[in-house]
Amino acid sequence: MMAETETDLVSRCLGGDNTAFAGLLEIYQDRIYSFALRLLKDPVAAEEAAQEAFVKAFKGLSSYNPAYPFSSWLFRITHNACMDALRAGSKNVSMDEEDFTELPDPSAGVDASVSDSLDSERIEAMLASLPPIYSEVLLLAYRENMGSSEIARVIGAPEGTVKARLSRGRELVKVKIFRKGGATV
Amino acid sequence: MQSDKTEELIARAIAALPYRRPSAGFSARVLAGIAAEAQPAWEARLLKAAGLLVAAWGAGLAFVSAKLLYANFGELAALLIQPGGIAEALNLAAARAGLILAKLTAALPAFSGLLSAAAGGLPAWYETAAAALVCSAAIAAFSKGGRLARQAV
Repeated sequence: MMAETETDLVSRCLGGDNTAFAGLLEIYQDRIYSFALRLLKDPVAAEEAAQEAFVKAFKGLSSYNPAYPFSSWLFRITHNACMDALRAGSKNVSMDEEDFTELPDPSAGVDASVSDSLDSERIEAMLASLPPIYSEVLLLAYRENMGSSEIARVIGAPEGTVKARLSRGRELVKVKIFRKGGATV
Repeated sequence: MQSDKTEELIARAIAALPYRRPSAGFSARVLAGIAAEAQPAWEARLLKAAGLLVAAWGAGLAFVSAKLLYANFGELAALLIQPGGIAEALNLAAARAGLILAKLTAALPAFSGLLSAAAGGLPAWYETAAAALVCSAAIAAFSKGGRLARQAV
């Protein structure tokens, strides 16, 4: 038997068949958990946020508009759960912008050998060191393959803000590569 | 040129990040959380029906109030622009409300009889009390639902 598509599962859920939600959970659990983990940097907090997001999604299914992708709706709920967790967190994680005054000009160029060696581990560490407002747009854009307008819906910010955050996020990563490169090359 | 290449590398490196798996039993915990909070379908339908009833009553009340205001707009406006007119307008409104109340009181026995007949001979107060309970439950449930929906989105 052919596996049900995400659209079928969403339709069944919207039609009142609650058992179909287990299929959606199976499809999305790794993506949602990974997104939460990369924002919260704590496996326990990430599981709690992901669980909260799924439960809220189930309860709010009637408010989902099928004209938009289900994934962006679910990521929006997860974004809200993560932001709540960050605000409530005792670690007092900064969600503000970094101070850019002391940053070197990233357009000066990055050593090619450093750039070429950008492996998962290094990029993961760099993303973890960014303020969540930048790491989340980078993750949504490149890992989740979302466009600016879709990201804007997910984070509830204007598209211009998304583009600015993407640009600054990339700059921050470049600067971190530059610094690392300077230290190692 | 170099900057573009770096941006491309960053994009590719992020795109290649592996998805992490939550701990064993995550799905079961989510489904248990959903089951604990799930509302039976009949309950949702009942609440929706009760909510519609409350909304219909509210709309009826708003319509009657608007009609009264419209019918007396000339008199009210004339009174409002006179010195001390507001107090007079309030008096007029109170007098009219009193008149309507007297009419309603007079019509109450007949209405009560109708209700009682509709409920198969049961006293009309039973029906009124049941309607009040349904309305309170609907308002409470809808307020809760609204709060949850705001939290979800």
